[in-house]
Amino acid sequence: MMQSVEEAVLDIRDLNVRFQTNDGIVQAVRGVDVQVAAGECLGVVGESGSGKSQTFLAAMGLLANNATVSGRVEFLGQNLLELSVRELNAIRGRRISMIFQDPLTALTPHLRIGAQMQEVLQTHQRMSDRDARQRCLQWLENVRIPEAAHRLSQYPHELSGGMRQRVMIAMAMLCEPQLLIADEPTTALDVTIQAEILDLMDQLRRDHGTAVILITHDMGVVARMCDRVQVMRHGEYVEQGSCEQVFYSAQHEYTKMLLDAVPRIQVSVDEAQEPMPVDEAQGPMPVDETQESMPVDETQEPSEPDASRQGDTSSLPQSDATALSDRATGSSFDAQSGSASDTILRVRDLRVTFPVHTGWFARKRDLRAVDGIGFDLAAGETLGIVGESGSGKSTLARAILQLIQPTSGQVNWRGQELTDLGRQDLQKFRQDAQIVFQDPLASLDPSMTVGDSMAEPLKVFEPGLDRQARTRRVAGMMERVGLPYTLINRYPHELSGGQNQRVGIARAMMSRPRLLICDEAVSALDVSIQAQILELLKDLQQEFGLSLIFISHDLSVVWEISSRILVMYLGSVVELASRDDLFARPQHPYTRQLVSAVPVPDPVLERARHRIKLQGELASPMEAGARLRFLPSRRAQLPIDYVPILSERFPNHFVAEHDPLESLTRSQNKPAHKCSQ
Amino acid sequence: MFNYAFRRLLSTIPVLWIAITACFFVLRLAPGGPFDGERPLPEAIKQNLAAHYNLDKSLFEQYIIYLGNLLQGDLGPSFINQDFTVAEQLLVGLPYTLIIGGMAFFLSIVLGITAGILGSVYRNGIPDYLIGTVILIGLVLPNFLVAPILQLFFGLKLEWLPVGGWGGGALSHIVLPVVVLALPHIARISRLTRGAMIEVMHSNFIRTARSKGLGGGSIVWRHALKPTLTPVVSYLGPAASYLLTGSLVVETIFGLPGIGRYFINAALNRDYGMVLGTVVFYMILIVVLNLIVDILYAWLDPRVRSR
Repeated sequence: MMQSVEEAVLDIRDLNVRFQTNDGIVQAVRGVDVQVAAGECLGVVGESGSGKSQTFLAAMGLLANNATVSGRVEFLGQNLLELSVRELNAIRGRRISMIFQDPLTALTPHLRIGAQMQEVLQTHQRMSDRDARQRCLQWLENVRIPEAAHRLSQYPHELSGGMRQRVMIAMAMLCEPQLLIADEPTTALDVTIQAEILDLMDQLRRDHGTAVILITHDMGVVARMCDRVQVMRHGEYVEQGSCEQVFYSAQHEYTKMLLDAVPRIQVSVDEAQEPMPVDEAQGPMPVDETQESMPVDETQEPSEPDASRQGDTSSLPQSDATALSDRATGSSFDAQSGSASDTILRVRDLRVTFPVHTGWFARKRDLRAVDGIGFDLAAGETLGIVGESGSGKSTLARAILQLIQPTSGQVNWRGQELTDLGRQDLQKFRQDAQIVFQDPLASLDPSMTVGDSMAEPLKVFEPGLDRQARTRRVAGMMERVGLPYTLINRYPHELSGGQNQRVGIARAMMSRPRLLICDEAVSALDVSIQAQILELLKDLQQEFGLSLIFISHDLSVVWEISSRILVMYLGSVVELASRDDLFARPQHPYTRQLVSAVPVPDPVLERARHRIKLQGELASPMEAGARLRFLPSRRAQLPIDYVPILSERFPNHFVAEHDPLESLTRSQNKPAHKCSQ
Repeated sequence: MFNYAFRRLLSTIPVLWIAITACFFVLRLAPGGPFDGERPLPEAIKQNLAAHYNLDKSLFEQYIIYLGNLLQGDLGPSFINQDFTVAEQLLVGLPYTLIIGGMAFFLSIVLGITAGILGSVYRNGIPDYLIGTVILIGLVLPNFLVAPILQLFFGLKLEWLPVGGWGGGALSHIVLPVVVLALPHIARISRLTRGAMIEVMHSNFIRTARSKGLGGGSIVWRHALKPTLTPVVSYLGPAASYLLTGSLVVETIFGLPGIGRYFINAALNRDYGMVLGTVVFYMILIVVLNLIVDILYAWLDPRVRSR
């Protein structure tokens, strides 16, 4: 039925997994078949609870004791299910390796990287310490980890997420296994890191002929990596076939739904028409026609205006730098929004710094989480805020809502300075501005019923209401957000993730706010649920005239919902433009890298396009000179903590100073942000 | 690592000071004094005594004098046993208390952790149930009940062990008090270990270790043991102070010449110097033990060191 079974490395037949739980027997996997050939990449796709991970944990004998597994799992002629633990251990880690989702919890916290890697070699190949160390070093270098020798003596928590996942991959590859099972290997990582890890896995597969099983929920990742795809739902395959078959002629309704639910960034040609740059003296920007369509290619960089504009600003005295930045954002925004009454939220030069201890006797240093951000938000508008982990997105949201005290700067809400408000007035503001958090389960009180959680804002903001009136309002809002009324007395842990997020949104909407901030509100949800929640947010916005600030690391989600997008890097704005402008003409190298790192859920397009790769990983805000990562040419003249200045390159399209993209991608061997000082 | 320990050490100084101050003043709040006997002393003698022990000075002055002496390592004189200083008396009783307490401490850790690991490895199996039952007995029976029962059984019925006395430190004399003292702590430590181990064995990094093909022993010893010990270690500080207070009772029941006896007598007699001295000594011991616990923490979890 499938590829020739003779050459299959792994051949799973009729696999069933049952769990004995307190609620009775749960059948997680029902009669699944899997075949993978050497050097092949099989994608296993499905939403949470589809049994995609359980299938392979069962095959590897890694399930908990309450699981019963039946069927056949043939690995190079041996049925893994019949092996003793000792025999299985000779295969696990040597001939079949696994990589898991969360690289922080998947590594033993108290063992050094070197110890964790070496024990694999010492267990399977009885290597001496020296040989094992040598091999580990070599593999750390193969997965492109800088300062590999130093990493061996570090603990997992001392590495970044991307580094940790590379260590996981290196560890899995140590014995050069025939099969690598990767369970959501990039889900916990930022898009740019994800792109690098996927490239790395692809290269390892080519170089070593390792068969790869990639378990994921992300159709974009599948499009990039996989030869064949199997789509799972409720423990069964609903569809399988070559990558092209599944993407271009999906048969099953569920597959079609899954593909439809993925937000796709599309830039239409007429929206992308080239406007005049703001600085007329320079004449029209020399931009290629091809840049109007996704995907972006790194060859299309309008570098001349960059250089000349940098000339402009660098000739200014340094002390005027921030003043200029204020003027640039401030004045042009006033011009943009037309009537001032339109603007409900005005943020100016907002800063939040946290003192950080770097050593026991070292002086406290300031971590500038939000570093001089300014923007305006109009009534009914949606502003998307994009940035990678550590860019200060959530801190910004909290500072706007006065949930944490901004260090300096202004937040002006409908003409009132929030930082000046007393307790009473602030409470009034809280009624107007609400927030929805990422983890729907953790952000609801576990000891309160859904109904009580939703009624609580009413008790605070409308104390006059009696119990019945509150219940009526709660019922009304539940209906509005698509929650069945029967759930009103349930507790959060009894609800699904999607239902809980609806509760979170309903709770936020109870006080009829004018501004709703969604902080990664759909990031923890399956794509189909994610699409529904985005739809709900759009409906609510229409109905109540809400302004939305939508924070996410996921560009395609932000694209789906936003009218304007602000791109953050290390606490400051690198680019701010309307959605279509930003995707049609991303200007800043960081934005361009981000945009190009998003996997496109279309195998032909995805494999054909080039990705922009800048040097270095996302730097930490504590790192000296990290903010100059995109300005290496002026590192010598500028102070180490200089924040590049925003200027309006096209009408309403603001870009921070930067070097041309070419200069940032060229010198591959030296990470740009490391050679400061 | 050194910095970490040093900082912890510095932070214990204010703790000690507050505790000593509180003890000093609370003790004086209690009615009566060291020289209030059945028969009142002549006024002149009383005054002489008061002058000798600085009791005629204001309370605050006495406090300053006490602190000053303490800083020089002088715990002061005993108010009742006037031939000895507090330090001398403590030194007489100390070895007995430390030997009994230390052995009980060691026994609790070794047996508790072993029993806990066995219980979690054979979870819901026969060893788990057996251990669980013994532990339950250790937890619910107070030591003043367990001690006489063991004395009756091993001492009088089987005649294997003596029922009391120091006996020159012979092992046979020490076994019973140590076991009585350790029993509740063996129970608590093994319950903590079992629970923590079960939780750790379900964590992601254990799954990774299993997927690497490591054997069961290597997974338990290398990967699971240290995180398992974290809650156990945090119990060791309180355990040490329970052992010390428990030793008061156990020393009395088994007729051992430890400092527990001095402490009780001193409190009854309002021997300010002796009570304060014992308290200060206990406090220093407990603070030091807690410090060791904190350092152990850092050893167990590298993330604590950089915090």
